[in-house]
Amino acid sequence: MGLEMTALLAVQDLHVSYRSRGGIAFQALTGVSFQLMPGEILGVLGESGSGKSTLAASLLRLLPEHGQITKGSVLFEGKDILQAGSVELQGIRGSRISLIFQEPSLALHPTMRAGEQVRQVLAAHESLPKRVLKEKTRQVLATVFPEEEGRISHSYPHQLSGGQRQRVLIAQSIACGPSLIIADEPTASLDPTTQMEILGVFQSLREKLDLAMIFITHNPALLAGFADRVLVLYGGRIVEVGAAATVLASPQHPYTKALFRSVPRPLERPRNGEKVKLPAIPGDSLPSSLPSEGCPFEPRCADRMDLCRKREPELIRIGGTQAVSCFKFES
Amino acid sequence: MTRRVLTRWLIVLLGLHGLVVCAGFFSPYNPAEQDRNHVYLPPQLLHLVDPTGHLHFRPFVYPWKLRPDTPDLREEDTAHPLPLRFFVNGAHYRLLGVFPARLHLFGGEDTRICLLGTDAYGRDQFSRFLYGGQISLLAGFLGAALTLLLGTLVGSVAGYFGGLIDDALMRFAELFLALPWLYLLFALRAFLPLAVSPLKAFFLIIGVIGAVGWARPGRLIRGVVLSAKERDFVRAARGFGATDRYLLWNHVLPETRGVILTQAAILIPQFVLAEMTLSFLGLGVPEPVPSWGNLLSNLQQYSVLVSYWWMYLPALLMVPFFLGYLGLASSLQERTETYMIERRSLGGVT
Repeated sequence: MGLEMTALLAVQDLHVSYRSRGGIAFQALTGVSFQLMPGEILGVLGESGSGKSTLAASLLRLLPEHGQITKGSVLFEGKDILQAGSVELQGIRGSRISLIFQEPSLALHPTMRAGEQVRQVLAAHESLPKRVLKEKTRQVLATVFPEEEGRISHSYPHQLSGGQRQRVLIAQSIACGPSLIIADEPTASLDPTTQMEILGVFQSLREKLDLAMIFITHNPALLAGFADRVLVLYGGRIVEVGAAATVLASPQHPYTKALFRSVPRPLERPRNGEKVKLPAIPGDSLPSSLPSEGCPFEPRCADRMDLCRKREPELIRIGGTQAVSCFKFES
Repeated sequence: MTRRVLTRWLIVLLGLHGLVVCAGFFSPYNPAEQDRNHVYLPPQLLHLVDPTGHLHFRPFVYPWKLRPDTPDLREEDTAHPLPLRFFVNGAHYRLLGVFPARLHLFGGEDTRICLLGTDAYGRDQFSRFLYGGQISLLAGFLGAALTLLLGTLVGSVAGYFGGLIDDALMRFAELFLALPWLYLLFALRAFLPLAVSPLKAFFLIIGVIGAVGWARPGRLIRGVVLSAKERDFVRAARGFGATDRYLLWNHVLPETRGVILTQAAILIPQFVLAEMTLSFLGLGVPEPVPSWGNLLSNLQQYSVLVSYWWMYLPALLMVPFFLGYLGLASSLQERTETYMIERRSLGGVT
């Protein structure tokens, strides 16, 4: 249908598992498939343990040693990353696809100046004369620090604020002009004001650099007005995917619905000073409480049916762009 | 605080090594120069007050004479004081092995002054101690450098690449740890020709002691590498396309610096002792070149052991060197730990 021809990234049936000491494998991702168009922003939503970070790491094959991609393919610009050799992989990482980690204070080298850390990324991918390298580093840093590029460049990470460190990481990630940035909860460790600031940086980058982005978060509010499409993960499976406006405004999967209900709304004051409990989803999503058969959300689902316990639902397209994996929508 | 302690130990060690490195200047005589008329002379004490109670600003010693009523007991000949002369010209030597010189810190006028006494050939023990330190400490340095080089190589490769390579290298290291290394030294030394030139023997010893000791530092370094490579910034750098070589060289190895320095400070005295053990057994640097080992090997003879107590003095003088190294090692370790704790707490600040 022509769509696959233009897709920047096509993930097909990705399965990832972690081996534990006893040799028992834990399935972290099961049959994840999605596509990303050039310049598109995909928001990945999910709670802890849903496989968000595993997804981010497996796209660049940066899983920890006990993690294993057991099945599937990750086609990036037509090449399968899962089949790429180590040299080819190093050429892609940081140059074509950049990964931004959650914790900016840990992702930067503590005894290297910020400018140097950006320079090293450039130097790893492009053999440029020293002077050009220096100038390019300055330019890259200036895109995220329009005002105090010089000072930041000469600072060590511990001299910078959380937001500034995250900006340095962003500078590293855009240094080589990638076509895809994967941001794994880039704002999770920042305070709300800084979160919005960093989100603004991402937004302006997108306008300037024509980047595709996979933005991973547990906070649906961050995706509103920012992401083009939203993908919801639960228990390592896609439960809902669709255009951001549709999914965020009218979620269809029982999990997505329940999740959005449990986001606090600070502006909605209960009348008469009454206290209203925030609706929460009963149960938890620990690996041990996921059912071995049927829909992973079945034990916690308010709308469960007998069928839910017997087999796993598949993604069913509803409407133009939205797809949901729930038997309620099976015709 | 730890920094100040560290500097103090460094200054002590620098001073002690300065004496050894400039042995030519600080020792009054050539260490190989014999004086068969004065064998096993006891140490001469420095005096400032003469028998009449007069204070002299120039220190002096008394020569030894035989007590008239005994065949072999000596006493100080207070009638003929020998004043110490400072900055005198004496035996030729090469300072630092390069610059020819003949200036000595002190010396006698015409009779030799032997502060630590003399040995069976009438050689000045003080000069032999300082010159012997050059050989022994250099052997310790080079041996430790070789060991740490091997240990770092094995440890970082094992820790970084993990898996089968790690298993194989670590089992091999355990084999080395399990070997009784002293006997291994004997065996290694025994297979090599017995009569070798002093220089060859010197390098042989360094090679032998350097090659057997790598397992322990190797394992320590592996541990540091294991934790270093799991740091988030290493993962992040890998995500930006860093090669293994870059990560090892720029992110992982710098973290091992603390352990390597501490290990060096522990290994150097250990290897000096190993050299002494070999020399003591006659497998080290051969005479007439002095080393701390063959300085003490005289003590193998019972007669020396009981009659000439001053032959022990070199052993006593080595103690400050070893203490200095151990003090340095412990303050280095403390510093490394503080640094680690600081870094760990830094991670929590956003």
